[in-house]
Amino acid sequence: MASPRVFTTHHRPPLLPSSLSSTPLTSLPRFVKSPNKRTPIQSVLQFNRKPQLAGETPRIVVITSGKGGVGKTTTTANVGLSLARYGFSVVAIDADLGLRNLDLLLGLENRVNYTVVEVLNGDCRLDQALVRDKRWSNFELLCISKPRSKLPMGFGGKALEWLVDALKTRPEGSPDFIIIDCPAGIDAGFITAITPANEAVLVTTPDITALRDADRVTGLLECDGIRDIKMIVNRVRTDMIRGEDMMSVLDVQEMLGLSLLGAIPEDSEVIRSTNRGFPLVLNKPPTLAGLAFEQAAWRLVEQDSMKAVMVEEEPKKRGFFSFFGG
Amino acid sequence: MASIDSLQLHSLCNLQSPVGRSKLQIPSSLVLFRRRHKNLNWVQVQTNQRFVCKSIVDDESSTPDEETQNTQNDDDNEKEDDVATTQNSNNTPSDSNTSISRFQSMITTITIHSENSISRLRSMITTLPPVTFLMKKSSGNSVWIGISIVATVLLASIRAYAIRKSRDNRPAGSVSDLVRRGQLRSGDRRGISKGMNYEDPFNNPFVKLGKGSSTVEMCGKVYKLAPVTLTEKEQSVHQKRRSRAYQWKRPTVFLKEGDSVPPDVDPDTVRWIPANHPFATTVSDIDQDLAQNNVYQKQGVPFRIRAEHEAMQKKLEALQNEEKLNNLGIDSQNARDFQRPYKFSSKLEEDENVQKSSQENHNDNSSSEETHKS
Ligand SMILES: Nc1ncnc2c1ncn2[C@@H]1O[C@H](COP(=O)(O)OP(=O)(O)OP(=O)(O)O)[C@@H](O)[C@H]1O
Ligand SMILES: [Mg+2]
Repeated sequence: MASPRVFTTHHRPPLLPSSLSSTPLTSLPRFVKSPNKRTPIQSVLQFNRKPQLAGETPRIVVITSGKGGVGKTTTTANVGLSLARYGFSVVAIDADLGLRNLDLLLGLENRVNYTVVEVLNGDCRLDQALVRDKRWSNFELLCISKPRSKLPMGFGGKALEWLVDALKTRPEGSPDFIIIDCPAGIDAGFITAITPANEAVLVTTPDITALRDADRVTGLLECDGIRDIKMIVNRVRTDMIRGEDMMSVLDVQEMLGLSLLGAIPEDSEVIRSTNRGFPLVLNKPPTLAGLAFEQAAWRLVEQDSMKAVMVEEEPKKRGFFSFFGG
Repeated sequence: MASIDSLQLHSLCNLQSPVGRSKLQIPSSLVLFRRRHKNLNWVQVQTNQRFVCKSIVDDESSTPDEETQNTQNDDDNEKEDDVATTQNSNNTPSDSNTSISRFQSMITTITIHSENSISRLRSMITTLPPVTFLMKKSSGNSVWIGISIVATVLLASIRAYAIRKSRDNRPAGSVSDLVRRGQLRSGDRRGISKGMNYEDPFNNPFVKLGKGSSTVEMCGKVYKLAPVTLTEKEQSVHQKRRSRAYQWKRPTVFLKEGDSVPPDVDPDTVRWIPANHPFATTVSDIDQDLAQNNVYQKQGVPFRIRAEHEAMQKKLEALQNEEKLNNLGIDSQNARDFQRPYKFSSKLEEDENVQKSSQENHNDNSSSEETHKS
């Protein structure tokens, strides 16, 4: 938290070779308690500059949770589009084999003609299966399979590794981020989805069932050699935390021992944005949940984590709060 | 011979008692005559008002209103006012003054016409009490109360309806958006939603850090910041706990349930896929190397498409040979079937055309979007 931020000392363009732009995690003293210092929290909430891309590109991030319905797809859509808005090129892969809905959240459902299954079969080329978002042309969606087709598992997760390789060497250049929306559970779909990843975002809600699944999935990811795991706590309700009806974000962190990428408040706008096919982060005026996703994306770029959590204060107008932050 | 076609009042007439047939002083400037070779037309608006007046005075009376309403009602009134028109049909233009005075006497109630509806409503209310009072002399008070209650309820419900209507128009992701996206059917209601993106993510006025960095203001609310307390040591303790609790090797080989494990495969890394798995299958009509090549293919005709073309070409050649052999007219239906594929596959021999045509064929997903955009 008191880290002398690398990006403030020397600004580099984000697309430099990875060896130059990589920021080793260990170089940042990350969990120092010093809330009195002013700079650290300020650095966390910056919106007035482009975040500095840390780590090797393409960053291959799998968004997973174990438990279903906790917000993986929502996170993928919002973080992915935030990254695109920050100026990075993003390929989002919907690896939910049977129950894909990332295309719906993004409003791209009518434009998915080909999927990875068709690419493997030679019905189309990879570039034909990538759906480019019209709002941000540096955002592309790739679906693994159509709802009624089955992914041939004979090649296992290799197919995804080929995909990543092919994206790295494509003529228009490697994407900065490849974000994989993982299906729930630890089934074949999960195994396939995590295969090419080298970092993970664990989405969980502050309830005990989601946490147990999250812990298990974290264990599996660590067994697979994915060390960089950060969590997003979704659907946080400060009103329930105050009444001790819900675990707080810090409680969740204590149970899982993972660094925080973001804390997303419960927000009815999430459902509305799903209906519109227009991810929350594009809302104008921005909503609290949208801002929280945006900041999570910010931290993801810089391989940063939350140093402070927003808690309720000054019940000025309404008794309605959410939190997240530094 | 011109007769008065319509009578329209455009400004206020000060009428105190609409009931008593008092002589109304209506300046002639306030009365508009439309001279046509037609019958005189008595303008009547708002039938309920007319009804009220009729019950009191036995006369044809009217409440001229807005001009637009008048013109709309012209035709309807033509039939109703037969009496008036026959009476006045013989009038010469010079008679018009006398006819005016006759009309003046006939006019008993004139609602005050004003620009805004509120004052019109108020005037209506002020004219109503004496009317009803005369109608029912004894119980006038309670009727008046009842009428005002009804009016209030009516106004309230109209207001509530208007509010709900305006709320329905809100563009945020409601069901109407699902309709727009074709996920829900709703007739031909298809609106195009406006883009709601804010362009500059680096200049966000909704986030302000408070002084002393212990608070942050977001979307107009101030929140306190509590520091994260997790240390790296705690983090590694958790990692160790997990590595003890979960031992796992990611499966890299997927086999159908019931298959035997190949000799060179570690059984720990096998994932068994049930034959009826809804989303995954181990069977593939394509082998691994070919699939990999398909993924890596950057340009040109996709493998399957090319294979299909070649198969088609072979079939066609066979057909042509057959045609040469028996030299009989193949039925025209068959010939037409193969005409188009033949042209296409003949192009296939020229290498450049192949790529072009395939791109045109498959520009659905990405390439066409870019052309559309421009
Ligand atoms: N912060 C939030 N506030 C309110 N609702 C939310 C929030 N996050 C997610 N939801 C809702 O939760 C539901 C599930 O979200 P989502 O589809 O992203 O979960 P998922 O983990 O991808 O599910 P699955 O496991 O089926 O893939 C959605 O209806 C979404 O609108
Ligand atoms: Mg999902």
